[in-house]
Amino acid sequence: MEEWVVHQRIKIPFMYTAGRALTRFLDGLARGEIWATRCASCSRIYVPPLSFCGRCWRVIDEWRQLPPMGELMSYTLVRYPLPEHPDRSPLILGLIQLDGADTNLVHFIGDVAPSEVESVTRVRAVWRDERPASIFAISHFAPIT
Amino acid sequence: MPRRVAIVSTGQTKHRAKRLDVNIRELITEAVTRALEDADMSMKDIDAVMIGNMEPFEGFLFPELWAVEGWGGYLKPSVKFNTGGTVGTTTAIAAYYYVASGIYDVVLAIGFEKQSEGHTQTAITTVGDPIWERAIMAGAVGNFAVMASTYIHESGVTEEQAAKVAVKARRNACNNEYAHLQMPDITVEDVLKSRMLAYPVKLLDMCPQSDGACAVIFAEESRAKKLAVHPAWIKAVATAHEQQYMGDSPKRLAVMRSQIAASRRAYAYAGITNPRKELDVAEIYEVASFAELAMYENLGFCERGEGGKLIDAGVTEMTGELPVNPSGGVLSTNPIGATALIRVAEAALQVMGKAGKHQIDGVRTALATGYGGNAWTDVMILSRDL
Amino acid sequence: MTKKDDETQRVQYLLDIEYHYAAGELATRFFTELKEAGRIMGMRCPECQRVYLPPRPVCGICFRELEDWVPVSDEGVIVGCTVVHLPFIDPMTGEQRPVPYGFAIIRLDGASTSIYHFVDETDEKKLRVGQRVKAVFREQRTGSLHHDIKYFRLVGE
Repeated sequence: MEEWVVHQRIKIPFMYTAGRALTRFLDGLARGEIWATRCASCSRIYVPPLSFCGRCWRVIDEWRQLPPMGELMSYTLVRYPLPEHPDRSPLILGLIQLDGADTNLVHFIGDVAPSEVESVTRVRAVWRDERPASIFAISHFAPIT
Repeated sequence: MPRRVAIVSTGQTKHRAKRLDVNIRELITEAVTRALEDADMSMKDIDAVMIGNMEPFEGFLFPELWAVEGWGGYLKPSVKFNTGGTVGTTTAIAAYYYVASGIYDVVLAIGFEKQSEGHTQTAITTVGDPIWERAIMAGAVGNFAVMASTYIHESGVTEEQAAKVAVKARRNACNNEYAHLQMPDITVEDVLKSRMLAYPVKLLDMCPQSDGACAVIFAEESRAKKLAVHPAWIKAVATAHEQQYMGDSPKRLAVMRSQIAASRRAYAYAGITNPRKELDVAEIYEVASFAELAMYENLGFCERGEGGKLIDAGVTEMTGELPVNPSGGVLSTNPIGATALIRVAEAALQVMGKAGKHQIDGVRTALATGYGGNAWTDVMILSRDL
Repeated sequence: MTKKDDETQRVQYLLDIEYHYAAGELATRFFTELKEAGRIMGMRCPECQRVYLPPRPVCGICFRELEDWVPVSDEGVIVGCTVVHLPFIDPMTGEQRPVPYGFAIIRLDGASTSIYHFVDETDEKKLRVGQRVKAVFREQRTGSLHHDIKYFRLVGE
């Protein structure tokens, strides 16, 4: 008797609500600006911004614009395609600490060969010409030479 | 012997169909902040956090992961629960166990759901077994409809009697500032004429889909006495599961085996022999109007087949002998991962004398229930007396 | 996406997960019988004598292992029924499921438990608990409960 394996899928559409702080961040990206928030208690600067500091348990309402550049803290080479990823292979994913921020952003690293990325320390945002209110207003981060 | 445990404070969000002003994390923080403020506590006073949510109603796994610093989880012991409709009571019972056992002194229980982000009936349909049930399941609505037909057949309850439950809930909700569906002018006629979802369940017979969160703080005896003027002492908790498949229970709603088992176990533990006389208020997880009538019978508020007569006689109204769901219940507010915890919070508010405009006078003993999954039941009994 | 003053950005996405569910030894036997012989099989508990449908390895009530297969009838009785009008997205396709459809809990003769299945009737006035029904099988069977049995039809009393 052949073992019965049922091939199915679960397919459900969803809609994520970003909330106030992230909305201001996303709207800023559409204008080519990167906005962060600063906790008045611990002085941590969050990007993406948070409306509430969970460590200090207090509301955050202080906003700071950050420069679109920072340090490449770490990276990885993705050698397999995922449906969400643009058609670039291999893909370099970077962990970027923008100047002044205490947290890291994840984004694509471009304009550099995978074999050269290890020597990259500083990166800057490369903006798209048509900027959506999304993290993809930034096309990728490129090395500052 | 377990330690004595009480609820010392509660917090809820304003529940609405769509909370488009906040994300999941901000929604949870709103409820937790209210619970902490209610007992003049800070997050430092919390030893551990229990968090409940029903995946995949938001469409991704671990929604609490994105929100961890928004619910106080950072570096604290925490456990996540996901038990369907019962998730809120499971989370509350876990918090109780941790405090009763002596492992932690003060535990925060949280439930949340942002139904507006997904498709509730679609997500519930995935609860059905992929080869035996899913192709025919139609969310909670379809399940409650087939079960209601069995209950009608067994008890002779009418659509009008069920409609009275729907009216009671939405009118009671008008006195609850956090409730989602507040309908002061709703009539039995409105319910009967509302759109048919799945016979005999019409739109107004069914609970809404809400965005909301609830937080409840549990403490051991000495802390509880300092943190609340009148803590809500937990007298009994019980849980019971049904069998595996939806069709296993011979009479589903009409004879709810898990609810009978869990409630009788809890009554025995709390020393209750006549629940209708000894309970002062009940906050039950009723989901659909027909279910509330069936639950009157299964929880022992009346004899079998008498559920309809109980609503006709006004026994469960705000002014009745045993008010059921003065908050407006699930029929008025249903952020699923929070819904059963709201039952616990509302029962606690009644015992503590803090229910505001929907307070029942002189409550000493209150019942809270959760219901979900394949007909699982959780029960908690709270008392003003230690 | 445009938004009102008190609303924030919303991001649309699709949860789409493909999976391969191993039905297990007992379901394999059940579906092989259904596909090849058009026969519906249950399992009997040696202690309480309940006949379980769907089949399962253990009686949850007696906690006894089940080993005996017994054929159950393709006729039975409705123990719960509805007509689904509610429009909703079917998670198995991502598309709206066609409504209305008749949906019943059916206890087949010879079984102690019930299954969920379609009924070939969308007028709720013609459906009631206690009615007799009979399975309508497809010619081309694939080993699927809700495909090989197209639906149950009401039988005269």
